[in-house]
Amino acid sequence: MKAIQVKQPGGPEAMELVELPVPQPKAREAVVRLTASGVNFIDVYNREGRYKVPLPFVLGQEGAGTVTAVAADVKSVKPGDRVAWTSVLGSYAEYAALPADRLVPIPAGVTDQQAAAAMLQAMTAHYLAHDSYPLKRDQTALVHAAAGGVGLLLTQMAHNIGARVIATVSTEEKAKLAREAGADEVILYTQADFEVETKRLTSGKGVDVVYDSVGKTTFEKGLNILRPRGMMVLYGGSSGAVPAFDPITLTQKGSLFLTRPSLGHYIATQEELTARSGAVFGMMAAGTLKLRIEHLYPLAEAQRAHRELEGRKTTGKLLLIP
Amino acid sequence: MLPASILQTNTEVFRPGKNAGLRITRIRGLPRENMKAIRVQHTGGPEVMELVDVPLPQPKATEALVQVSVAGVNSIDAQFRDGRLRTPLPFIPGQEGAGVVTALGSRAKMVKVGDRVAWSGTLGSYAEYVAGPEEHLVPVPASITDDQAAAAMMHGLTAHYLVNDAHKLKAGETALVHAAAGGVGLLVVQLAHAIGARVIGTVSSEEKGKVAREAGADEVIVFTHQDFEAEVKRLTGGKGVEVVYDGVGQATFEKNLNVMRLRGMLVLYGMSSGPVPPVDPAKLSEKGSLYMARTTLAHFTATREELIARTSALFRLIAEGRLNVRIAKQYPLAEAAEAHRDLEARKTTGKLLLIPSPNQIRRSLGKS
Repeated sequence: MKAIQVKQPGGPEAMELVELPVPQPKAREAVVRLTASGVNFIDVYNREGRYKVPLPFVLGQEGAGTVTAVAADVKSVKPGDRVAWTSVLGSYAEYAALPADRLVPIPAGVTDQQAAAAMLQAMTAHYLAHDSYPLKRDQTALVHAAAGGVGLLLTQMAHNIGARVIATVSTEEKAKLAREAGADEVILYTQADFEVETKRLTSGKGVDVVYDSVGKTTFEKGLNILRPRGMMVLYGGSSGAVPAFDPITLTQKGSLFLTRPSLGHYIATQEELTARSGAVFGMMAAGTLKLRIEHLYPLAEAQRAHRELEGRKTTGKLLLIP
Repeated sequence: MLPASILQTNTEVFRPGKNAGLRITRIRGLPRENMKAIRVQHTGGPEVMELVDVPLPQPKATEALVQVSVAGVNSIDAQFRDGRLRTPLPFIPGQEGAGVVTALGSRAKMVKVGDRVAWSGTLGSYAEYVAGPEEHLVPVPASITDDQAAAAMMHGLTAHYLVNDAHKLKAGETALVHAAAGGVGLLVVQLAHAIGARVIGTVSSEEKGKVAREAGADEVIVFTHQDFEAEVKRLTGGKGVEVVYDGVGQATFEKNLNVMRLRGMLVLYGMSSGPVPPVDPAKLSEKGSLYMARTTLAHFTATREELIARTSALFRLIAEGRLNVRIAKQYPLAEAAEAHRDLEARKTTGKLLLIPSPNQIRRSLGKS
């Protein structure tokens, strides 16, 4: 089969299209023929060697396809099942051997491409809006990077819950996307101070929750715009990691709450993984959650996909099609 | 907080028979012209608290003057006394108490003369009278004593918001309560137990362990000779607890992060061992998408509605006998320094109270 392999960490050129044997399922595994694999920033980090992965390895942590073979002890899926997964390495390939308990069924109303695109970002948006801080109708949420991959999905979910969404974005074009996704207010942080604007938009009261994947550049101001007892959900650090901070700051700014979640802890059991993916697929099938799949690349053009992702020229999801 | 003008009136160390030189402002309708109070002129040890005669404070427009029957002793008082927390000098310590309204400012309307009230967060309570904002005063029902009300205000309200709001504890959850025989801890244990949660308490001695068990702790860890991290893991089958209630701070912080289940909550509400050093948020992620809060009572009683609702709920629990506010000792107001010494020596279990009128001490003790 064809696969994208990294032999030495490096730039996009470190990704090579290679010919490998089709994997055979080991105990508790299923082999899936891929129809779509998601391209994510974590793939870039793996390619660059920021996270240590034994070399050589097949890149990619997200995909969808059809089961072709299962180990004798696998009961949860069977050949012919359409499935999707996230957080298991090896999906930039025509086939992947995967732990069967990490595969979720794709319902009839959802395409393989939609399923692959949803696994990481939409499940992240789902746990943020429903579990990290269970957002309620009429609450106000500040969503940073609202036109980003997770941001755009989170904005839709928050809007669907009935919350008021204040979105931060970098450009007018992205502001339009955020508004279409349901943002009630959009702040162009390149032109206006989001702390001042959020205070104005909330009449000084502040927001119930801040969803922040930006990190270093937004954290402090985010604490300033939370209402007393509000929640800071810090789920990424695209501008750099938030430095260590004195917890008394949380008291001084109003008995605030902080969490630093990651998806793995919100899909830790097979039950929760299946329930969460089922909820997300349900929203997609019902048309209440729209994914923007804007960029499809043949598997052989993985390098171009990475260059465009890193160049931040893309909005919406990038998929490789084996 | 008392207005500085009151604190800076012409006062003098109280010596019987030597009142000459005191400037006395006559306030119409007030029962007396001056009162006894504990005053701090310079920050320092317990000895800086002096019993003095000062003019009765005069309530401002939206304040009420209260005759203090009981003043609660809290560690925050010691922090103001020794300068860890700052307030303009000289000042009358004490943040908490109960008593009867004796006079009202011109625009006060939430309480009336004769009302039994309790309060917290009003500096100046170590005195026979205190003037404070009327919105801090909460009614005390007939079913509970002034001692109970005063003792419950800071610790009781804190325990109440911890288990109901900072982390809404549910039946079947497991809570780790540090300093489980301490002022707040002992009340958290009772409330958590009443909710139906499993309570693991940490204490410093076997004796305090017994007190925590009596309050409803299911498991007690004597941290002076058991590692609480290892013990909590063992007691929870490696799963960890849903919530940690921590008023200890520095000494327990790191290990707390290792004893919580995935997505567990650490509620920091104090720092008796010192402040927690800076926290790298990434640690919360690594240890299981944890939550932390650093809370203080004022934000959980910020509106009059919430203050009244919370105190009513608390007083009801006390009146129904479901929450036992343990009173360790009563001291005459003049012995405030001794009360602070006892508090700081950590040799008492339960609340310390100052009683401005010696007759009341006899009466209260006679009852128990």
